[in-house]
Amino acid sequence: MALEPKKHEMPAQDPQVRAHNFDEVALGYTEEIALSEAARCLNCKNKPCIEGCPVNVNIPDFIMKIKEKDYEGAYKIINKTSTLPAVCGRVCPQETQCEAKCTMGVKFEPVGIGRLERFVADWHNENAKEKAVAPENNGHKVAVVGSGPSGLTCAGDLAKKGYKVSVFEALHTAGGVLVYGIPEFRLPKAIVAREVEGLKELGVDLETNVIIGKTLTVDELFDMGYEAVFIGSGAGLPSFMNIPGESLKGVYSANEYLTRSNLMKAFRDNPKTPIMKGGKVAVVGGGNVAMDAARTALRLGAEHVYVVYRRSMEELPARAEEVEHAKEEGIDFRLLNNPVEILGYNNPDDPRDPKNGFVKGIRCIKMELGEPDASGRRRPVPIEGSEFELDVDAVIMSIGTSPNPLIKNTTAGLEVNKRGGIVVNEDGLTSRDAVYAGGDAVTGAATVISAMGAGKLAAASIDEYLSAK
Amino acid sequence: MYKVVRRKALKPTVTQLEIEAPLVARKAKPGQFIILRVDEEGERIPLTVAGTNPEEGTVKIIFQVVGATTEALNHVPEGGYLQDFVGPLGNATETEGIKKVCIVGGGVGCAIAMPVAQEFHRLGADVTSIIGFRSEDLVILEEEFNECSNKLFVMTDDGSYGREGNVTVPLKEMLSAGEKFDMIITIGPLIMMKFVTLTAKEFNAPITVSMSPIMIDGTGMCGGCRLTLNTEDGPVMKFACVDGPDFNGYEVDFDEAISRGRMYFDYERHAHEETCNLFKMAENA
Repeated sequence: MALEPKKHEMPAQDPQVRAHNFDEVALGYTEEIALSEAARCLNCKNKPCIEGCPVNVNIPDFIMKIKEKDYEGAYKIINKTSTLPAVCGRVCPQETQCEAKCTMGVKFEPVGIGRLERFVADWHNENAKEKAVAPENNGHKVAVVGSGPSGLTCAGDLAKKGYKVSVFEALHTAGGVLVYGIPEFRLPKAIVAREVEGLKELGVDLETNVIIGKTLTVDELFDMGYEAVFIGSGAGLPSFMNIPGESLKGVYSANEYLTRSNLMKAFRDNPKTPIMKGGKVAVVGGGNVAMDAARTALRLGAEHVYVVYRRSMEELPARAEEVEHAKEEGIDFRLLNNPVEILGYNNPDDPRDPKNGFVKGIRCIKMELGEPDASGRRRPVPIEGSEFELDVDAVIMSIGTSPNPLIKNTTAGLEVNKRGGIVVNEDGLTSRDAVYAGGDAVTGAATVISAMGAGKLAAASIDEYLSAK
Repeated sequence: MYKVVRRKALKPTVTQLEIEAPLVARKAKPGQFIILRVDEEGERIPLTVAGTNPEEGTVKIIFQVVGATTEALNHVPEGGYLQDFVGPLGNATETEGIKKVCIVGGGVGCAIAMPVAQEFHRLGADVTSIIGFRSEDLVILEEEFNECSNKLFVMTDDGSYGREGNVTVPLKEMLSAGEKFDMIITIGPLIMMKFVTLTAKEFNAPITVSMSPIMIDGTGMCGGCRLTLNTEDGPVMKFACVDGPDFNGYEVDFDEAISRGRMYFDYERHAHEETCNLFKMAENA
């Protein structure tokens, strides 16, 4: 049989339709497509894809199971190393990880590993009947701080080994960035809820509305009998540009905007939590979060959405697939543009004009690329005298976050770096005995899968530490 | 779920609830706040802690019905439950080195000012309290303030109770007469705090203001509660939830905070009307 050079396209909602709804964009492979895509895997000897995966999923083996139409078998292989297959199949940047290493990719397009993973996970969620069984308790208690991807992974791995795990979540719903950050159209919340249910079946306790660093401290967790603590508290305070106008009404951080829409369901009709809908919107930044914010704005009814980014498309850090989706939906990319001021209404004749203090535009300056900077990317340099204005009603700042200070401030002896990230060694251990950390709380804003990798590593280290006790 | 152990109507639109939340009760200090959701679809609103009973494991909150969520909260009966209740958030009010303090509370802000006044009293400080309300039907906590204050002024805007005038009147009288406070602490509507700060400034008196901007998570994630401090080094952005809620009154950009507080004004008014109509329909049904 001749090899199919291209990976099978992902069926997706039509861009014109999906730009106005919050349903999932990518529809998933059918069984027929999945079988045909699985057939493209060469099952090569050295299996470079496994190395490309931060949690080392045995990719060729699960694809072989798909070929045999043993989808549950495929799921079990993935689930051995990955706690959240339905999530990873959707939001992992496979193109820079497993698929970047695929042997098929040397000459052709790599195997669509992520799409196959999603197919298997969705099949399992729809068809598998048996519930997970909590293994026999080994007598050790571990506390996990935060129920995002790193915390859930760490909790899942430890629970499977028989640890009694409690996960403490500050918000009212478990899932961390998977529920407050990533929008419904990219990761349906029902999928996250199902993964969380799976953990509960394994015997994991989930305590929402508990803020470690406020409600309880790390030291108190030890007093309560937990023998090890994993901190996966995620990203923290949103960054702003420090330009005039950032406190005008209509300026959001991406965190706030996405939290209002995703966690607080402001996207629904008549929501209890308000959000500005409609008008023209500028999203500042070029990461995945910026893409999520821009596409959310469009779905909330914006008539025009700009993405303002100071470098060029080549440096834009968002996943290619997300950028492609955004473009198809009509997002207007204004590259090599940098905001210098956000402009607000101010009616000098009427101080009570209700529009006063709201955003009316954003002034930008054009940029060109100069010499490479410390990150190796060419540094954007402003072109003098090139300022211009865009008329907008809302501005969403999506230029990153700095780690949350609550745990650092209440945990004596916990070392952080100069950016506020918790310092860990190669085992995920912090400067405090029996306290481990991983995910954005350590690295600053990164990906779901790298956070999962960190949670996994910490779980293994905690297991080693407590087994030796 | 968090049980409403006791409910007490202090005034027709001002209610006190005691909520079962043992972990919060054990930790909360004067000046800190909590975030709650009334029901599964509800929004998250911050409310300052008005007192705790660590032995019983309850936290006291006092609120005025001003919008859809407080309307819904006011309909939760004694023995009923709140969906979510989390805290304590923010930093406790600084008490160190303060031997003589003036507490200036306005409206339902007095509920927040009360535990602060009680704490200073407990620590042996000399406490002067000024509490102000729009009119008699909104006056709350007079007795409680009386118990913890060496001197108490009760003011109403319309003179229907206590002295007529706003809270700056007695403050200015005292400061003019040469009274010195180690700290003036004011909690209430932004516009009131702005004028209390201006009054303090005339006499170079140190002042702390307690800010309660719009926020969602309250843990330093959303950035919605940001405000500007005009410091010696220029304007600095701060987050009320993790850097506050108390700030040096001289530095706070009140006009910006007032403007930001009105971001969803139209929306909130509409939502409140709708909620009221829903409750009326339910009552009439």
